[in-house]
Amino acid sequence: MTVPASNHPCWQRLASGGIARLKTQHLGTQLMTKRIERSTDSLAVKASELHAYFAKWERALPAEVSQLASF
Amino acid sequence: MNELISVAAAAELIRKGAALSLAGPESALDQLPAGNWIGGTIPYFMVAGGGTVVTEGKVFVTDLSKLGHISIASYGPAELAGIVGHAPENGFSLTIIPAGSQSHQRFAAEASSNPDAFLKPTVGWISGVHLSDLGRVSPKVYDGRTASKHEDRAVVAYVSLPADKLASVEIVNLFEPDGGDVLHFSDTSFQVGECLVNGKKVDFAQYLRSNGLDGGKLPLVGDFAGAHINVSVQNIDDVKGVVNLYAPVFPGVDYHFAKPVPDYANAFRARLAKVDAQGVVMGCNCILNFLYGELEGKAIGGVQGPVTFGEIAYQLLNQTMVMIRIS
Repeated sequence: MTVPASNHPCWQRLASGGIARLKTQHLGTQLMTKRIERSTDSLAVKASELHAYFAKWERALPAEVSQLASF
Repeated sequence: MNELISVAAAAELIRKGAALSLAGPESALDQLPAGNWIGGTIPYFMVAGGGTVVTEGKVFVTDLSKLGHISIASYGPAELAGIVGHAPENGFSLTIIPAGSQSHQRFAAEASSNPDAFLKPTVGWISGVHLSDLGRVSPKVYDGRTASKHEDRAVVAYVSLPADKLASVEIVNLFEPDGGDVLHFSDTSFQVGECLVNGKKVDFAQYLRSNGLDGGKLPLVGDFAGAHINVSVQNIDDVKGVVNLYAPVFPGVDYHFAKPVPDYANAFRARLAKVDAQGVVMGCNCILNFLYGELEGKAIGGVQGPVTFGEIAYQLLNQTMVMIRIS
């Protein structure tokens, strides 16, 4: 399972609140999720940040990456 | 290497060019030559035989040399964004900050708001002093390049890993939310006057006293998307009418107080027995766990390391064991 492309609609849905439904026990992902939830950045900025995060950690987060496209 | 050794042995490693992270009493760190190292003051350690206190002659050494390319940096309180800003693309930033400093306060409040904070992990600890020296001696950090010590800077060992390696930051937190009152805070702050308890505004100091929580043994547990992040209670300042905390609380986070932990040593042993030791290169645990859990002389397993005045796993934590794993 690979990280969806940056123009995939999942990123907007994750950025607009969907990220709270991601199932994870990974500390960095949990803290990043809370940062996104609390952030006042635009949806586009949040979506970009989420894509960069999962692209960076793709290898370490197969369970999380496998959920992304379903959002 | 991740162990307590003599000052002379540490000096020899430095002279040979090893890249080191060091922890120890100020009198020991003061004796070390310039080289490729960072350090911070602390006399408390968890080692294989149990918790121990070192007042002179020894330092705890974590040899970073074989992990990858190591470079040292140092940042003042207004420059802390540089910790992540200059971090390697693949690796981690091992960071030490003195307790009670502006750098400590600002890192705690600002670290997690950096958009790159979770792309380039920061891990480390807050330096301290022997508890009998609290208020008389200031915690220090050391920039080994010049063998200089500082009361208000962050020192960083950037560890750049090979492309086939990844760093992961892990925690062991004994504390679980009690499932009772939900607390919310309106500001990012180490000091709290009022807060919301189940949606109702209350005086936080009064709330602590009326619930028997003013002793500080039970931390607040913040829910960060399922991760339990502790904030420990330091004291109540009745003159200012505030509760002082060892880390800031954040708006937009649900907090509960923690359930009591009856036996810290056994609880740590049980948790650490389930932690895979493979690839764990360093760790630290909290002075409050050491104190309230009476861990001196008690072995708990897991990685050896300093017992610190705060732990860093992307952001400042309290009453938590932090580890970095390379896989």
